[in-house]
Amino acid sequence: MKHPRRTLLAAGASLLLGLTACGGGAAGGGGGGGGGDTAPIKIGIIADLTGATGDVGKPYNEGMLGYIDWINSKGGIKGRKIEAMSNDYAYQVPKAEELYKKYVADGAVVIQGWGTGDSEALRTKVASDKLPFMSASYAEVLTDPKQSAYNFVVAPTYSDQMRVALNWIAKDAGGKAEVAVFHNDSPFGTAPVADGQKYIADKGLQLGYKAYPMPKTPNFVGLLSQAQTQGAKYIVIQNVSSPAAQVAKDIKAQNLPMKIVCLNWCADELMIKTAGADVAEGHIMVQPFAPTGTDKAGLKVIDDYLKSKGSSLADKNLHYTQGWYTMDVMAKGIEKALSSGENLTGESIRKALETMDAVDTGGVVGTGKVKFSADSHRGSTGSGIYQVKGGKLVEIAANQVP
Amino acid sequence: MATATGIHHRSYRAELRLRHTTSEWARLALVVVALIAAPWILTPYWLGIGNTILIAVIGAVGLNILVGFTGQISLGQGGFLAVGAYTAAILSTRAGLPPPLAVAVAVVVTALVGALFGLPALRLKGLYLAIATLASQEIILFVVKRWGFLTEDKGYIDVPRAPFIERSTFELQWYWMLLPITFLSVLMARNLFRTALGRSFMAVRDQDIAAEAIGVNLTRAKVTAFAVSSGFVGLAGALSAYYTETVTWERFTLDVSVLYLAMIIVGGLGSIAGSVYGAIFMMLLPPLLTELGGALSQQFPSFNEQLPAVKNAVFGIAIIAFLLIEPRGLNRIWSRMKDYIRFWPFRY
Repeated sequence: MKHPRRTLLAAGASLLLGLTACGGGAAGGGGGGGGGDTAPIKIGIIADLTGATGDVGKPYNEGMLGYIDWINSKGGIKGRKIEAMSNDYAYQVPKAEELYKKYVADGAVVIQGWGTGDSEALRTKVASDKLPFMSASYAEVLTDPKQSAYNFVVAPTYSDQMRVALNWIAKDAGGKAEVAVFHNDSPFGTAPVADGQKYIADKGLQLGYKAYPMPKTPNFVGLLSQAQTQGAKYIVIQNVSSPAAQVAKDIKAQNLPMKIVCLNWCADELMIKTAGADVAEGHIMVQPFAPTGTDKAGLKVIDDYLKSKGSSLADKNLHYTQGWYTMDVMAKGIEKALSSGENLTGESIRKALETMDAVDTGGVVGTGKVKFSADSHRGSTGSGIYQVKGGKLVEIAANQVP
Repeated sequence: MATATGIHHRSYRAELRLRHTTSEWARLALVVVALIAAPWILTPYWLGIGNTILIAVIGAVGLNILVGFTGQISLGQGGFLAVGAYTAAILSTRAGLPPPLAVAVAVVVTALVGALFGLPALRLKGLYLAIATLASQEIILFVVKRWGFLTEDKGYIDVPRAPFIERSTFELQWYWMLLPITFLSVLMARNLFRTALGRSFMAVRDQDIAAEAIGVNLTRAKVTAFAVSSGFVGLAGALSAYYTETVTWERFTLDVSVLYLAMIIVGGLGSIAGSVYGAIFMMLLPPLLTELGGALSQQFPSFNEQLPAVKNAVFGIAIIAFLLIEPRGLNRIWSRMKDYIRFWPFRY
């Protein structure tokens, strides 16, 4: 009993903290999804700003918030503003679940998620809560309404991108070749691995294929030497930009005769910037979204918006565009649900997304158009293949489908 | 009425009672009333956090049996939670076992796995044992991650929702299911330490050579402690599988093991009540900080942006603060508060 009074004080303070928090929760929970005709539309955003995929997660999130700011400045969707609740979950599934519950309690009508792990973990929850859920995960399972009733995928899946990459490799090698797949050691990383193997067998491609989870080491020399033992000439990377850039640096430093084929999350300007233009030179990138600096019509609106804010698309990267257009597709669904005259609920938005006309993204996403149906939540096919030349992404094949 | 001169026992039976004074019974009644009233006071969101706390309490009690009462440090908590969750999920989705049976089997399987990984404890102590249990965490996680047949190569298992659970009353129904299970688990653990087995655990913790000298079978005590502890943890894991409806390995990483260790340090090592307080404290901290971030988002936007980092920092500070100021945790603080009131106006 050294400091009983201090103890009492501390206990009192913690009790007060608890009480205020519970009070706040009770007040916030009454919101509900409906609201009046001009009530803001609440959207919950689960973002990775500081976690394992934060390097690409941050621009993606900025793109989403940029779009929301842009559409709100134009008066919102049919006169109703979007109220975005955006929080960082640091790529941890339990934190994503905590945020999800909070958004549901705060009356969100749709959710914008991020990673494969959390999208898969929340899949059944969003289906039973009836909340349309888009995320930056393009795992195949999320496109099937039978398995993931409320998930919508705007871009070609990781598996499709892997198939496109394998096709290109088979053509480039002109015969037999060994492929090493370096992947993030998570559901995101493993998503296309088995499908790639199956594709080689089904198509009878003359490719050897071996997958390597990427360890948390400062460099990948060890992994590359394993790939070298395999005889791999091509390294397909399913990971984010920073580790992919490190692989490029290690290849350069070791002077290995290997070509990187990056899928989606490392196929970007950030990878080139991190690795350096000379290190990244010649490597291949499979990317369904139009990079900055290309002449796609859909990029202009983003550039104009950013210029009005004293920035420009050249300062950002293609993940900004990706976030922007993912939110755009969702907004089009909300718009259609509003004009159908039904109450704005997750159910009516899902119906709208499934029945609306193809969303024209001005050539930015896949083939340019994003279209869902009741049988398929695969929004688009078609990825571009780019090669790094002089620090730029130069298109070598457009609209590749497996 | 407790007297200012202290509590006196006239028989061993009286001393062994769980509650000695009327004020203790009165406090218990208050807690029971609060727990029963909670669903009417809390919103579904806070009730959901209550449900995660109830599951965490079972896990923390289990860990405290091992670490706090038997003195065998364990970093394998996340792995054992995974064993419980995967066993229950696989049994109910593929073998079609009804959930209560699947949970029961999961408890037994986790207890067996725990006993197996507890074997190194027969030769190892302290830091060395910590590393050995860290290995069990990594091995179990490796298995659930890489053995594709466990998840049918999907990487996750969907656990279907029981047909009687309604969407609108999801948290409420879970609360009424979890509350009695947690209550019984806590009661069981509390009673464990009124038995010879429970006391042999504490004897091992206090001085294992002395314990052996007075006739405690060290091998049996240590392996049983691992089994009993893992049984509780398996129960928590199995319940979390049904509650979250998707089982993925990402929920059972080393972070989780550390989180549970923090719970029992903050709550009080070697105290069942402390495990409960610690679980409540550590599970409430993140949502309370989220609320704080939301409330301060206008004045301090950077606080909200850095929330995950802030949460980690607060987590660390809480552990350091408790170790420095009150190593015996919230439970000790609570008993000091009670003593202060009881002896007032005297200091002791």
